[in-house]
Amino acid sequence: MPAVGSTIEQVKEIDVDKYKYGFETNIESVRAPKGLDEDTIRYISARKDEPAWMLEWRLDAYERWKTMQEPTWARVHYPRIDFQDLYYYSAPKSTEGPKSLDEVDPELLATYAKLGIPLNEQAVLAGVQGARVAVDAVFDSVSVVTTFKDELKKAGVIFCSISEAVRNHPELVKKYLGSVVPKSDNFYASLNSAVFSDGSFVYIPEGVRCPMELSTYFRINDMQTGQFERTLIIADKGSYVSYLEGCTAPMRDQNQLHAAVVELVALEDAEIKYSTVQNWYPGDKEGKGGIYNFVTKRGDCRGDNSKISWTQVETGSAITWKYPSCILRGDNSRGEFYSIAISNGYQQVDSGTKMIHLGKNTSSRIISKGIAAGHSDNTYRGLVSAHRKATNARNFTQCDSLLIGNKCGAHTVPYIEAKTSTAHFEHEATTSKISDDKLFYCMQRGLSEEEAVTLIVNGFVRDVLQQLPMEFMAETQKLIGISLEGSVG
Amino acid sequence: MTVAVMKTKAEQSFAEGFNEMRATLPGSAAVREAREGAARRFEELGLPHRRIEEWKYTDLRSAVKEALPARSGDKLAMTIADVIVAIGPLAQIDAHRIVFVNGAHRPDLSTPGSLAGLEVESLASTLEDAQATEFALSGFAGQDSNAVLALNTAYMSDGAIVRVHAEAELEKPLLLVNIRAGAQPCFAAVRNVLEVGAKASARIVEAFVSLPGAAGDGQINTATQINVGDEARLTHVKIAADDGSGVTHLANWFARLGKACEYRGFQLTQGVNLARNQIQVAFDGEDAKLDLSGVFLGRGTDHVDTTLVVDHAVPSCESRELFKGVLDGHSRGIFQGKIIVQAVAQKTDGKQMSQALLLSPDAEFDSKPELEIFADDVVCGHGATCAELDKDLMFYCQSRGIPTDVARVLLIESFIGEAVALVEDEAINEALMGFARDWLSK
Repeated sequence: MPAVGSTIEQVKEIDVDKYKYGFETNIESVRAPKGLDEDTIRYISARKDEPAWMLEWRLDAYERWKTMQEPTWARVHYPRIDFQDLYYYSAPKSTEGPKSLDEVDPELLATYAKLGIPLNEQAVLAGVQGARVAVDAVFDSVSVVTTFKDELKKAGVIFCSISEAVRNHPELVKKYLGSVVPKSDNFYASLNSAVFSDGSFVYIPEGVRCPMELSTYFRINDMQTGQFERTLIIADKGSYVSYLEGCTAPMRDQNQLHAAVVELVALEDAEIKYSTVQNWYPGDKEGKGGIYNFVTKRGDCRGDNSKISWTQVETGSAITWKYPSCILRGDNSRGEFYSIAISNGYQQVDSGTKMIHLGKNTSSRIISKGIAAGHSDNTYRGLVSAHRKATNARNFTQCDSLLIGNKCGAHTVPYIEAKTSTAHFEHEATTSKISDDKLFYCMQRGLSEEEAVTLIVNGFVRDVLQQLPMEFMAETQKLIGISLEGSVG
Repeated sequence: MTVAVMKTKAEQSFAEGFNEMRATLPGSAAVREAREGAARRFEELGLPHRRIEEWKYTDLRSAVKEALPARSGDKLAMTIADVIVAIGPLAQIDAHRIVFVNGAHRPDLSTPGSLAGLEVESLASTLEDAQATEFALSGFAGQDSNAVLALNTAYMSDGAIVRVHAEAELEKPLLLVNIRAGAQPCFAAVRNVLEVGAKASARIVEAFVSLPGAAGDGQINTATQINVGDEARLTHVKIAADDGSGVTHLANWFARLGKACEYRGFQLTQGVNLARNQIQVAFDGEDAKLDLSGVFLGRGTDHVDTTLVVDHAVPSCESRELFKGVLDGHSRGIFQGKIIVQAVAQKTDGKQMSQALLLSPDAEFDSKPELEIFADDVVCGHGATCAELDKDLMFYCQSRGIPTDVARVLLIESFIGEAVALVEDEAINEALMGFARDWLSK
């Protein structure tokens, strides 16, 4: 049985039709007609009550998208997507799903229990009808959110949905939207620019250290942002923010194609820490269904002495195509990328990072840990480049892969380009399996084979785990165990 | 969207050149057919450009501006003394020499007689024979997309067919010397076939050098097919050391390794304006050992590309690669190395390293070390580094009274020496370091 087996089964149980091959959905909600043309974009823009400049921006992106071709260079295989056979807007209205937790597959609940997720949150995650109301009523999360919002307001931090930001802070959105990932950046980014549904907007004013970790989790009412999420985070001079995206629990989601764009802007002396845990539906035992996750994430260290750090834990999705990057434009700026990518079943992961050194004395660090099991393929693809003027650029890259079973593949495709002699680049990569000695040692001390594998894998990814915010770390350790379930023996 | 690609001037003249000279190229009807097939393939493919992933860093379409005419060197007046001058440090090696001038075999300049256990024939003279033709053309299976090889097949004028008999131990190294000579710039396509029988042991050096006074421009296209028999040992060195101002050197190596054999390959590239060394190694029997290394030295606007693919298709093999580059001026070094471990190739042990020393702020090093692994019980790794000369080491040398220039050379020599030492043959090592020293002193 392939791992994440439990997850797969349970998610399928809840909502089997939603995960059938293809992109059919049967939500009864307000939505745009199938297909994509100018009218769809006008419809989306109108539904969101957007100003004219935003519509223009979207239409321009659409014009550019029409001339582009779907990229084929990644090591992933999937049937051709018919972009005219998709719905591009559907009001988040969840009327389907189980009526209460009693109707949810007990195994799914067991998974949640293993992750230590409180009951109320379990209901939301499993898509129980009216769960939000229940959460609000029983656990008073409204007050939590309110307290939280008050505190942010006091600090001057703007944290809202991108639609709200378009309406309330047009000057910031106009200035920064598309400045890191331009409209015509790549096929999926252009598509996203044309039809993005919603997402988060964060602005940290000058000199402010954001008083708490920001998380989409706190915006629980906004969680169903749809398949084309757009996130924009701006850290003004000397500010600091840590942002968490996603959560460790398997998420129910009705969209098969996800093409998100995340833009980070760090001005002078600012620091942004962006952590992601992604655990979407990976497809069934035969590799059918599952989410296609085609994401463009990029951070721009625009000011001197700025820093952007990406940490990601990728365990879900049938296909992951994702390269969180840093443009190190400011002098002395720093980029970091820490990644754990676990693939099992028939998952395909093609992920990595780009560190583009443009400023003087810029430094970057890449630690990538890939674990492939089952029939999956796990590719690290990365670029480290130093421009001619990037004197004293420094990079250290380490990408390690672990293979569990002989039906999977682990690949490393790094590009290292040094255009200046003062650049010091070091790159190392290793691939191996879990040694029998280590397994034997653990099992001799009474651990089952599965527990031993989990323990060893957790040791393998430790360097990255340590970069995660505290609360995520513990959950992620458990998630790793669950993701690898069934991959041994 | 398909765009009709314009043929460049060089592409056109390669095609025209072939049409003009195809009647004069050696070979039977079967060979002619193979040549014409290859010419058609080249016409379809065109020169590789940066839109093709493996050629991302070396755009031949824009770099190769013209096709030089092929001029056979069989009539060129040359003496053995000229050969000694051309091969420089290699003259010190007591070796059996086979000499080619501008791609034509010159028995008059080669060592007379033969070595026990060794058969060497000129490719041109054997291409009439069907069996030999099969032998010379079959070793590059699955290379249909290789435009440079297609050009070689179409144009190949001569080369060496080398057979080392089973269980033979060659006393002396075999030296295959290709000399670029004559005041007229020319193009030469050379093909060598090296067949090392089971349990045999041999050392073979392929050298591409030029005679002082040769034209500044030149184009060499070489393809070498290597077949290492079961339990055989082969040390195989290629030296491309030219002095020209506009020399293009395009090389293909295709090696097949038999069971429990040991193959030591080495490539030195220096003084070449545009070089592409493409190496493909396929493991065909278990327990084989591969040790591939190389040194590339670039200055001015030199562009030196090493691209290798090591395919572990059988279990329990070991591969080691170490490539070192020294880049000065506006030169650019490229290393692309791919290790493939197929699902059946359990117990594979593979390690790959590429290192570059950038001596000038305008030098560039691009590296793409790839791993493609489908088996789980393996130990594989790669590393890549690039940096300038270590200032601490320079200071250390200087503080001990060693002048800057000497210290620099000392450090560079020790840097490349690590790769050269892997050849594990004292005389050849010395010759290789001799070439490098010549380059450094210029």
